[in-house]
Amino acid sequence: MVRVRDLSKAFGGNPVLEGVDLTVLEGTVTALIGPSGAGKSTLLRCMNLLERPDAGEIEIGSHRIDARSRFSKRQLYALRRETGMVFQHFNLFPHMSVMRNVVLPQQRILGRSKAEAEHRAQELLARMGLADKGGQYPNKCSGGQQQRIAIARALALEPRVMLFDEPTSALDPEVGAEVLEVMKELAAEGMTMIVVTHEMGFARNVCEDLVVMADGGIIEQGDPQRIMGDPSHPRTRSFLHAVLQR
Amino acid sequence: MTFFADAQEFLPALLGGLRVSLLLTLLSLLFGLPLATVLAFGIRSHNPVLHWLSVAFVEVGRGAPALVVLQFMYFGLPTAGLTLSAMASATLALTWTTGAYCAEYLRGGLSGVPQGEIEGAEALGMTWGDTLRYIVIPQGWRIALPSLMGFAVILFQTTSLAYTVTVPELMSQAYSIGSSTFKYLTVFVLAGILYAMISIPATWLSVLVEKRLNKHL
Repeated sequence: MVRVRDLSKAFGGNPVLEGVDLTVLEGTVTALIGPSGAGKSTLLRCMNLLERPDAGEIEIGSHRIDARSRFSKRQLYALRRETGMVFQHFNLFPHMSVMRNVVLPQQRILGRSKAEAEHRAQELLARMGLADKGGQYPNKCSGGQQQRIAIARALALEPRVMLFDEPTSALDPEVGAEVLEVMKELAAEGMTMIVVTHEMGFARNVCEDLVVMADGGIIEQGDPQRIMGDPSHPRTRSFLHAVLQR
Repeated sequence: MTFFADAQEFLPALLGGLRVSLLLTLLSLLFGLPLATVLAFGIRSHNPVLHWLSVAFVEVGRGAPALVVLQFMYFGLPTAGLTLSAMASATLALTWTTGAYCAEYLRGGLSGVPQGEIEGAEALGMTWGDTLRYIVIPQGWRIALPSLMGFAVILFQTTSLAYTVTVPELMSQAYSIGSSTFKYLTVFVLAGILYAMISIPATWLSVLVEKRLNKHL
């Protein structure tokens, strides 16, 4: 279970998140949608402490961090170990082969042997439809392939929850569809996922829970079909109207 | 064809000088590059003492001409009670210059590593030490390497200043042959050719290395 309690974050005096509460149950897929500047990405990045919240609590599995009190590096790494993150721009390591991108983190973070890590990497790359890409360098792969490599890299560390930060926003719709397909499979296997996205089809059809954010807070949360069919908040209505008009 | 006859006569001494020039270059790089790495991290440090100490060291090294540093080490330090051999003081001076310039190139390289890759490593749960070791330093070096290689060529040419403190390098050999035979024209043309024979291929090499490194970026 992932639980965020009363989370606040400001950038240079500008509040981005104001007292956000969110609970995500094990094995569910949650979509975070909303206009840009709503704080979706910041909320996601606070969950693995890429951003340090000003106040509030983050609980993932058995790990809990209170932003107000001091926490050790060990606690920070322990929390991050529970999460895997996929970024809009993939953020692969360009100086390493695809295989090493997936192998090195396993060796350094989980302490797996090289053989063990390579075995797991090969398995995951094959599942992503990239069995023959291990020896390539990331820049020789297409955007969709790079994103699937990034997903394999994160999955190799056996995270409890996967955080997706606009994983298809930098991709052509067609290529984005390949990535969404992989994410759908993951969801079907019961992976806990939190997805910041503008893909309304994915939010509606794959996600169990829809969270609508605006102005640093959650304005509406619930069943995606219901919210998209009959939004109760005027901000949700105007946002959905704008997105679905495109 | 007295030029070739003279060249044949002068060449052994000049080649001996060239060997000293190359040795001085290598020693300065050998000590200067680790120093530069330390200084680059020093400048990036949040510790104010470390930061300002590194900045001061780099600014003096880049602000003062290499010739001044060289003369200071050889003629200035003995006044303060520390006498070094010519070769040692030249190495020390050029190590400082190397450390100062290369620290700036390295610092530029380190800060040129895309933030996204660092976040990628952090999000995976890599420690800061591992992130530096596997992501930031290898890539920072790659970004800085062309500038560093360019600097190495300039450093090689700068070693000619060491003739002012009696290091028997190429320039000083050429000068002493010139003053004893008065064939300055011949001997300096030869010295120039020898410097160029190292510098020009080294420059080509640095372009080649740059191309190779950028293959994956």
